[in-house]
Amino acid sequence: MKTMKGGWVLMAMAGFSASAVAQEKGCILLKTVAEIEQPATDERGQPTTRLVAVEKVVPGNEVIYTVSATNVCDSDADKVVIDNPIPEHMNYVAQTATGPGTEVTFSVDGGFNYGAPQALSMANPDGSRRTATAADYTHIRWVMRNPLKPGAVAFARFRAVLE
Amino acid sequence: MKRPVLLLVVCVCFSAHEGRAAGTPAGTSVVNQAQVSYTQNGVPASGVSNATTLTVAEILDVNVTLQSAQVSVIAGETRRTLLFRVTNTGNGSETMPFGIDNLIAGDDFDPLAAAPAIYFDTDGSGDLTPADVAYAAGSNDAVLAADAGVSVLLVNDIPAGVADGQLGRSRLSARAATGTGTPGTTFPGQGTGGTDALAGASGASSTAIGEYVVGDVQVAVVKSALVVDPAGGTRPVSGARIDYQVVVNVSGSGTARALDFDDAIPANTTYLPGSLRVNGASLTDAADGDGGEFQAGATPRVRVALGDLNQASGARTVAFAVTIN
Repeated sequence: MKTMKGGWVLMAMAGFSASAVAQEKGCILLKTVAEIEQPATDERGQPTTRLVAVEKVVPGNEVIYTVSATNVCDSDADKVVIDNPIPEHMNYVAQTATGPGTEVTFSVDGGFNYGAPQALSMANPDGSRRTATAADYTHIRWVMRNPLKPGAVAFARFRAVLE
Repeated sequence: MKRPVLLLVVCVCFSAHEGRAAGTPAGTSVVNQAQVSYTQNGVPASGVSNATTLTVAEILDVNVTLQSAQVSVIAGETRRTLLFRVTNTGNGSETMPFGIDNLIAGDDFDPLAAAPAIYFDTDGSGDLTPADVAYAAGSNDAVLAADAGVSVLLVNDIPAGVADGQLGRSRLSARAATGTGTPGTTFPGQGTGGTDALAGASGASSTAIGEYVVGDVQVAVVKSALVVDPAGGTRPVSGARIDYQVVVNVSGSGTARALDFDDAIPANTTYLPGSLRVNGASLTDAADGDGGEFQAGATPRVRVALGDLNQASGARTVAFAVTIN
C-alpha cells in the first residue's frame, strides 16, 4: 500500500507537466492544506480547539487535510469530482471525510474502484473476504451533487493519522 | 489520470505492506496531493493541487525490561548478574547511555556494583562470560536503530552478612543521548537528519529493577570407605584397596554455585588410576571436559567440578579408590 501511495504521488507529479497546461487555463483551482488540531481558549475563556498549519509531525499525530476547489471561470463547472490519495505512511480516520454537497466514497484498490464503506472488502490470508477498515483505504473521492458556480468554493476534508 | 496507469499502480500496492512498531521513520516526507476532474461547457478537464509536505520528526523513546527471574544468591558471593533488554522504541537511530543504581528504597540490602558493573551480553548467553564486553559510558554507548534492542547485564557482588530471605535490588537505566524530559519536550534540529527531536511517552528514558534474594543453602558431605584386602577380607594391609564414597547433598532454598569437590589422597596410599566416578559414571583422570581429574604431585588429589546445585538437583556421589602402599 505504501509503495502504491508513493507511486500515486510520483505519477501525479510526473503527469504534472502535462496537466500544468490544463491547470493554467483550467477553471478549477485546487488547493490542499495540512493542519493539526490544538487546544485553545475562546474569547469567553472557554476551552475550545483550533486548527493550525503543520509542517512537522510525529507518529500518532492526527492531521486534518482540507482540499478547496474554486471555480475561477465565469461558467458552471459540472460533474466535479475530487480525489485524494491517502498519503503514504498515513491511515485514514474512519468517518472523518466530509464535504458539503458531496457524496463521499472510498477506494481500497489504489483508486480503481470506489464505493461506500460497507461495500468495500479485503481478502483475508485464507481467501475469504472481510469488510474493509479505514486503514485499508487508499483513496477518498468527493462527487459534487450540483455544479460549482462561478466564483464558488467547494471544500473537502479528512483526517489521517501518521503511522 | 488515465485508468491504465492507475491499474499499474494498483499492481505494485499489495506487495509492499510493511509495518513498523516504532512508527514512520524520522526524516520521512509525507506528501499529500489531490486531483479534480470536471466538465466545463461540456469539455472534460482535470487538475491537481499543490503538494503539502510534512516532515516526520524524531520521537525519543526507550524501554528497559528485566529479563531475569529473581536471582538466588548467598552472602558474600561475587559477580552475580541480572539480565535486561534495552529497546529503542522511538522512530530514529539513537545513542543510549546506561546507568546503574543500587540505592533503591524498599529492599533489605544494597548489592555492591562490581567494577565494571554493566556489560553487553555480547554472546547472548544471558549470563556473564569472557566474551561479554564491558560498558564504558561515553566510549561504547549503544547506538540503536528504531525498534532495535540490546541485552545488558548488571553485575553485582552480594555483601557478607546478609541474612536468609533478604532482598537486594539493582536498577538499570537507559536514556536517549539527544535529550530527556517530559513527553513533548522538543530538541530543535537535533533529530535524525536534522529534524526536530522530541521526548516520547517514556520521556526518552526508562529503568527496570532486578532483584537478588538471599537463599539459605546447606551443603552436606558424607564420606565413607570400604577396604578390600588381597585375601578378599576387609583388613587395611599393604596392597589392600580402599573404595571411597563421598555423598554431596544440597538443601535449603538457595543454590550452591560452582561447587568444587576436592579431596586429598591419604598419606601412604596411591590413587587407583581410572577409578573416579560421579553418580556411577566414570570420569577420566586427565584435566579435560568431563569436570573431573586426578592431580599428581606433592599432595595428590582428586577434583570434580559439580557445578550449581540446589535441593532439587539431588545427591552427587563421588567415588574413587586408592591402594595402600
